[in-house]
Amino acid sequence: MEDFLQGTLLLATDPTALLIFACGLLGGMLFGAIPGVNMLTLGAVILPFTVGMDPKHAIMLFSVIYVSGVFGGAITAILFNIPGAPENAPTCFDGYPMTQQGRAGKAIGAAVSCSALGGVGSAILMMAATPAIADWAVHAFGPPEVFALIFFGLCVSASVGARTLWKGWLSVFLGLLLATVGTDPAGGLGRFDFGSYYLLAGIHFIPLILGFFAISEVFTQAEKIVTGTRERPKASLEFPTLREFWALRYTVSRSMGLGFFAGILPGIGATLAAFLGYNEAVRWSKTPEKFGKGELGGVVASETANNAATGAAMIPLLALGLPGGALTAMMMGIFQIHGMEPGPLIFINSKELVWVTFSAMFFANLAILGLGWIQTKTVVHLLRVPFRWLAPGILLLATVGAFALRNLLVDVWIMYLAGIAAYFLRKTGYSAAGIVLGLILGKIGESMFIKSMQIMDYDFLGFAERPIAALLIAAGLATVVASAVRQWRRSRDTAGD
Amino acid sequence: MTRRFTVLAVVLAAGLLFGPTLAGAQDIAKPDGFPERPITLIVPYGAGGGSDQLSRAMAGAIESAVGINFQVVNKPGGGGRAAIPDFMTAPADGYTVMEHIDDAATLYASGKIKENPAEDWVPLAMAQITFSQIYIRPDDDRFVDWESFLAYAQANPGQVTIANVGNVGSMERINMLKLEEAKGFETKQISFDKPAERYAALIGGHVDALFEQPGDVRNFLDAAKMIPILTFLDIRPEAFSGVPTHGEVGADFDALLRFRGFYAKKGVPEDRLKYLEQVFAAGFQDPSFQAFNEKKYMHLIDSYRNTADSIGLLDGAIATYKAVYKELGISQ
Repeated sequence: MEDFLQGTLLLATDPTALLIFACGLLGGMLFGAIPGVNMLTLGAVILPFTVGMDPKHAIMLFSVIYVSGVFGGAITAILFNIPGAPENAPTCFDGYPMTQQGRAGKAIGAAVSCSALGGVGSAILMMAATPAIADWAVHAFGPPEVFALIFFGLCVSASVGARTLWKGWLSVFLGLLLATVGTDPAGGLGRFDFGSYYLLAGIHFIPLILGFFAISEVFTQAEKIVTGTRERPKASLEFPTLREFWALRYTVSRSMGLGFFAGILPGIGATLAAFLGYNEAVRWSKTPEKFGKGELGGVVASETANNAATGAAMIPLLALGLPGGALTAMMMGIFQIHGMEPGPLIFINSKELVWVTFSAMFFANLAILGLGWIQTKTVVHLLRVPFRWLAPGILLLATVGAFALRNLLVDVWIMYLAGIAAYFLRKTGYSAAGIVLGLILGKIGESMFIKSMQIMDYDFLGFAERPIAALLIAAGLATVVASAVRQWRRSRDTAGD
Repeated sequence: MTRRFTVLAVVLAAGLLFGPTLAGAQDIAKPDGFPERPITLIVPYGAGGGSDQLSRAMAGAIESAVGINFQVVNKPGGGGRAAIPDFMTAPADGYTVMEHIDDAATLYASGKIKENPAEDWVPLAMAQITFSQIYIRPDDDRFVDWESFLAYAQANPGQVTIANVGNVGSMERINMLKLEEAKGFETKQISFDKPAERYAALIGGHVDALFEQPGDVRNFLDAAKMIPILTFLDIRPEAFSGVPTHGEVGADFDALLRFRGFYAKKGVPEDRLKYLEQVFAAGFQDPSFQAFNEKKYMHLIDSYRNTADSIGLLDGAIATYKAVYKELGISQ
């Protein structure tokens, strides 16, 4: 606490630090909100300029960008079905349907408050957590455990957004199949590449999401305009009520815990945190079938989790020198440029840096609340723009977003193909969210599975010998069985009517 | 629109930072006013990684030394392969340059890419050349150095796990294979694609050893979280004078090196190639780049090669890899 106050004091009394704080906050939010560029773009661009900066300021700048960048992409996800950054992708699942139902204000309000809440909670945990926690996580969670965690997440994916459970599973398996396109994680051999180097790069989930959500939505709305059945969504500014928040207290705390945990594990990070947070919200919900159709809990789960991962990711970075994602890897670069070594000693040798960073992250999360509130009151009015003018803008933003991801034109093609495919898939009751979940969890899951197999001599029973992995896999299987039984009962009941 | 804004911001910022040094811009003769606009530098790997850091450091150094601007563009995917078609379809006018690593040689030798980096591309410079080492945990109670590691591995055949990158036939795998053949032991190679996972796996005790280059794990070495037990190089570098080399422990083969460099396309006018070669040499000599390479432990052995020597380095590596692949029967 004393350290925190000291860090706050240092931050508040240093005009340069305050200026950097403000720039980082706005920059991160801006780059997070514009599809196609994200906080990594900003980070890579400014990284060379940190050489001349005080390391304290440089690390703080990146941590503030991290916090506000993760939040920034939520707004476009909710309003236009375009996630500004990968970690906001699951926010689309329920955020956009809420906009269509005229509840955009509620969705954005929830995203703002929960990003701030998740981030503040994570910042507090981060300050309280000792390097010992990071050390424990790295020891306890090897590839088999992470695979089991992904498997556990995947088992509930079929319940998201599909008309029937079977269509849900088909959607997830389609996602898993798409995940196999490209270079395989073990041997570096091409799969389904048809001789193209581009396809060797695999199908990235961002163009797929842009196609599934933004592009197919434009088609769907266009169809409605042509047939005269379209109603313009109301641009409501209504915030979620305290009662609504209170009802979601378990979702928030679950996502916070999960996000924090995902943040600590190297190589997992905010994107997977958001997906896992979303999946768990579905699993524990009494009405899982409502997810993907405008459930406030979906927005809350994903936005709490991705911001909760930010504080957590700082722990392995600072305590062990292990960056969990690309942005923390850049911070690692800053340490190295300044000849410093992250590690347990950094809490003693560079105490000032650590605590200025921690307090900056804390206040950045608080600032999101204020800035987000202003944004809510202003951005929602974009919905008043007639769709025929909005649509070209959405197509343009999505195209730019798909291309800028890797600067590969193939991603733009994939996006439009996915858009056309999704238009039909959605009409027939399949779940776009399920396909995306299958794709993203499939990629990480396969890579973890391969490593587990290599470590355990290709013996499946090896999972059973590892308590954490065994527990997660068993729980995942139980979920599958339970949902199948529920489906069977329901069909039996309706048949008996 | 947003991209253009980004580029503009970079150029403006770079201008502000490096503007003052432009007055002393080099006496390297510009061929017919080339370049009259920023040069695109394609990085076939993601932002923040080793190749990306190198490319941005080099771009900054060249800007400060010669006053030429670069636009760094990341095109990651497919193990460095996804960027190649865009590079190959760009006009051969010298305005497009690509960074690539020694994987270009292995990919070509195994038939995974058609382009021979020594013939279809023109290397402008190698800017980072480094060797590999095997690392273990300092608190491992089964082995503490190469001797005890080898004894343990021989007593438990196929049980020792080594974290590595994925590609079969990669520089890592071939070095390990040659070592294992020479010393008569067998390990399990575990494919890790992300560096952080690889390091966490060793520190967290999920694997027994790590194959890596010293610059990438420098902070762990300095913090004594990892210790090197073997160096893949013909002589002991000064910084690791206490660690035996593979030759010293009785493995007689030419260790394969990791190298990163910059390429133009074949067909770019000769005078522009000559000019770019000089530009990259000037960038390499720039104090900011020298400092960067030192931080990355890239000063332990000579890291620079000009066009002719780079071609020699590539040809040698490609020949070695081809021979090994033939022996193993993994060439396509």
